[in-house]
Amino acid sequence: MLQCVFDYLIQSSQRFPGQPAIIHEGKTMSYQDVYNSSLALAGWLHSLNLESGFRCALLTDDPFEYVISYFATLMAGGIVVGLNTQTTGKSLYYVLQDCAVSVLFVQRKFHRDVNEINPAIPCVKYLVSESEWRARVDIQTAPVWVDIGRILDSLNAKSSPKLPTVTSGDIAQIIYTSGSTGKPKGVMLSHKNLIANTTSIVEYLALSEKDRVMVVLPFFYSYGNSVLLTHISVGATLVINQNFLYPNVILDQMVQYEITGFPGVPSIFALLLHRSSIYNYSFPCLRYLTLAGAPMSSKLGKRLLEAFPGVNIFVMYGQTEASARLSYLEPVDFDRKMGSIGKSIPGVTLKLVNKQGRQVGCEEIGEIVAYGDNVMVGYWKDVEETKKVLQDNGLRTGDLAKMDEEGYIYIVSRKNDMIKSGSHRIAPKEIEEILCEHEAVHESAVLGVEDDILGETIKACIVLKKDRNCTDKEIIRHCRINLPAFKVPRQVVFLDELPKTASGKIIKSELTGYWQ
Amino acid sequence: MANVKGNIRSFIVETFVLSDDTVLLDDDSFLEQGVIDSTGVLELVDWLEENFHIKVEDEEIVPENLDSVNNLSSFISKKIN
Repeated sequence: MLQCVFDYLIQSSQRFPGQPAIIHEGKTMSYQDVYNSSLALAGWLHSLNLESGFRCALLTDDPFEYVISYFATLMAGGIVVGLNTQTTGKSLYYVLQDCAVSVLFVQRKFHRDVNEINPAIPCVKYLVSESEWRARVDIQTAPVWVDIGRILDSLNAKSSPKLPTVTSGDIAQIIYTSGSTGKPKGVMLSHKNLIANTTSIVEYLALSEKDRVMVVLPFFYSYGNSVLLTHISVGATLVINQNFLYPNVILDQMVQYEITGFPGVPSIFALLLHRSSIYNYSFPCLRYLTLAGAPMSSKLGKRLLEAFPGVNIFVMYGQTEASARLSYLEPVDFDRKMGSIGKSIPGVTLKLVNKQGRQVGCEEIGEIVAYGDNVMVGYWKDVEETKKVLQDNGLRTGDLAKMDEEGYIYIVSRKNDMIKSGSHRIAPKEIEEILCEHEAVHESAVLGVEDDILGETIKACIVLKKDRNCTDKEIIRHCRINLPAFKVPRQVVFLDELPKTASGKIIKSELTGYWQ
Repeated sequence: MANVKGNIRSFIVETFVLSDDTVLLDDDSFLEQGVIDSTGVLELVDWLEENFHIKVEDEEIVPENLDSVNNLSSFISKKIN
């Protein structure tokens, strides 16, 4: 029985030492290479004498660096905090301070983001990067800069370093997810949580060392994270291209590397179907697709069946709070139960309950409540928010659904107004706050509107201050400066006033009608 | 052609709001510089079609055509002619 997440890497490096673990931009690292580098880095991290459960943040889109730093941190008894690379100095500052990160791995291309805020992060003791780092900071207050190449070179030759004991109940990761208040929440996942989730997914996808997965999802999201762990656990090969800018490039790589599995969110598949030459390709080795992260329209589902004949398509549903996965729909039911998220994954119990917490009947709407070893420990330093979702009967997902007579679950709506755009979960409040910082904006309301590719795009409804003028371009520019690209509204509409209830609450459902 | 490059540069800078210290050379890859994301590529394609009255085919959405000021400029020139 495996105890810790890094045991997956140890096991696979022993069983398949020469097997390619990661392929990226023509370079390959075998399981033995990944293990050796992770062990060396873990030894260095342990030598720093940081407290048990120290937080180590990863700001990189180099998959070699990410994976090695990830496993090294866990082996050294630390907690991984994968950072969204589409970030702003403000968001970065919030997360680093919130969980008191002491070691930050940062790729050269993100030096500028860190330089913006660097003097203001006293908790960060070590910054690990390439040798070309040039920091614009006061040397007296700066953390120690460390060259990752030098660490690996100096430690690779050494014998096995002494490492601490890590147990299954220890926290392995904190994954930040958008909170409805606009502030990100840190989801704490233990080794046990992640192992439970991984075991279940490996079972129903029937993954093995023969699989070669095309990875376009970033590892800092829980979906990408579970793709990483499930495939490392069986000794499969990850072919990684997380810049999903040119769909045809991905299709070429799928052919070149004889890809057997392709996990994605609906917007990725929509892009492949709408803006690539997919019908000119064939994928004889492709065994499965997985779809999760957002609802999929039946139109997209039918087109997927046409584009990938004979390929098993798994629809999956989950939350970061559940280490990723809660339910899946068997490929055999994909057409017959189109629109359903299926049934609970092995090891998880799902119930639909009413406001009183009682289970609802067939075809009645209730909130999905989940129970299983994959359910998070709680939110980092947030007892109140944890209490709201972790209750006696399990994790309250906030998603409303109904179950048919055969036990298949269909999501009806969400209890909160979070926007799902592409693979991103976005809190309208965060965007509304940025909009209101614009000197001409009196008040605003942000909502998601249907989009063929992204599922939802962001629409901003704005009331300007009296006698002030402003164009939609100015508003979008203001957002582009202050928000990551995926949070920038695509539509801006100016109104005389926002529709409100008698108590002054904005009625967002009425705002869709304003758009022309 | 200098004018086309100027137009491309203005579009990129204005739409994707590059910071003041970003130096974008004509040969710099948008992808490597982190200038645009996947939906940004679609915005770029829409802009090309609208401004230059051309149709960008699905198989033409590749880095060789779109991933730098120079690549875009050559692609536009090829399409127009």
